[in-house]
Amino acid sequence: MDRNQLGKWLKQPAKMANKYSLNAVYFCTGCGIIEIPPVITARWDAERFGVVPVATPRQGNLFMITGYVSLKTLRAIIRTYEQMPDPKYTVGFGSCPINGGMYWDSYNTIKHLDRYIPVDGWIAGCMPRPEAVFVAVTHLWTLIEKGMANSSDRYRKQYGQYRANQEKLFGKLDWPPLYDGGNGKPEKGSR
Amino acid sequence: VSNGLKEQLEAAFARTTVTDGRANEYLVSCEKESVLSVLAWLKDSGYDHLALVSCVDRPALGQLELVFVLSAYMQEDGGLSGREKLNVILKTALPRDNPECQTATHVFEIAEPYERELHELFGINFRGHKRLTPLFLEREYEIPPFRKDFDTRAYVKDLFDNIPAIEESKE
Repeated sequence: MDRNQLGKWLKQPAKMANKYSLNAVYFCTGCGIIEIPPVITARWDAERFGVVPVATPRQGNLFMITGYVSLKTLRAIIRTYEQMPDPKYTVGFGSCPINGGMYWDSYNTIKHLDRYIPVDGWIAGCMPRPEAVFVAVTHLWTLIEKGMANSSDRYRKQYGQYRANQEKLFGKLDWPPLYDGGNGKPEKGSR
Repeated sequence: VSNGLKEQLEAAFARTTVTDGRANEYLVSCEKESVLSVLAWLKDSGYDHLALVSCVDRPALGQLELVFVLSAYMQEDGGLSGREKLNVILKTALPRDNPECQTATHVFEIAEPYERELHELFGINFRGHKRLTPLFLEREYEIPPFRKDFDTRAYVKDLFDNIPAIEESKE
């Protein structure tokens, strides 16, 4: 631990702990995932920054979407994102999640990821270099410190809009079940 | 085994032509009724690896061209164990308005996923296929999306561009 940061640790220990324990979900989408093995192994060693890949979304708090998102993948992304515990941060990696990239007129690839799940930040490029991941991570630290990495709060607040956009693509989503106001019965049509 | 594959194949099947393709391949074209028997014949004569089943859309001819790429396993010394060429490409034309064909899964089991793919992307109906269920696509498309008359730009404008951005409330 850096001694200079002792003040910050005493002031806001939770935020500082979140900052330095980013557990990235192993979720491989598109071609960008090829940049992740060098990032997490000896060459660039992401563990210096506290970024560790974890096996299940239930342990993770950093979700990197590493490339184009087809409809089938989007369904899995929504499912994965909903399973992650708070606090959770989402980063779009590469130009495809930003605006479709080279799949701008593809019949089966979504164009703007932030219309379906909330996103904290983007890494532009096709492909971004591994160094860009660390720029993003340090930037994410700043956002967390200032309380600006609030994608899961935004998701909760605007859930109606996100869900409506998701259902425009998939018809009626059967998961996650919608909250019914607390009378204990799951909504009709949900599992 | 198949010395003179061209002569043997043309003698055995009516309206089947064999031409030389690129250096290491034969191009065979046949009627859609005889696809299965030609495939079985080729399998017996050593081309026992089905590498690919694909399709070419030819709207000008009103045809969907079904393409089977067959291959013979190379020997360790690089020889072809008596066969003349490494690959055989079998083509057959299906009518575009009602593309139907007998499934090849009885001859090559590996054709199953390829045929499911062609069924959903080109709309070809394979008779006798046990599981013609969706493979890649999540949505239903009026025109199968790999056909030439499927307008991707219009589709994107219609579907994806109509999905609104999230409006954040200022609090």
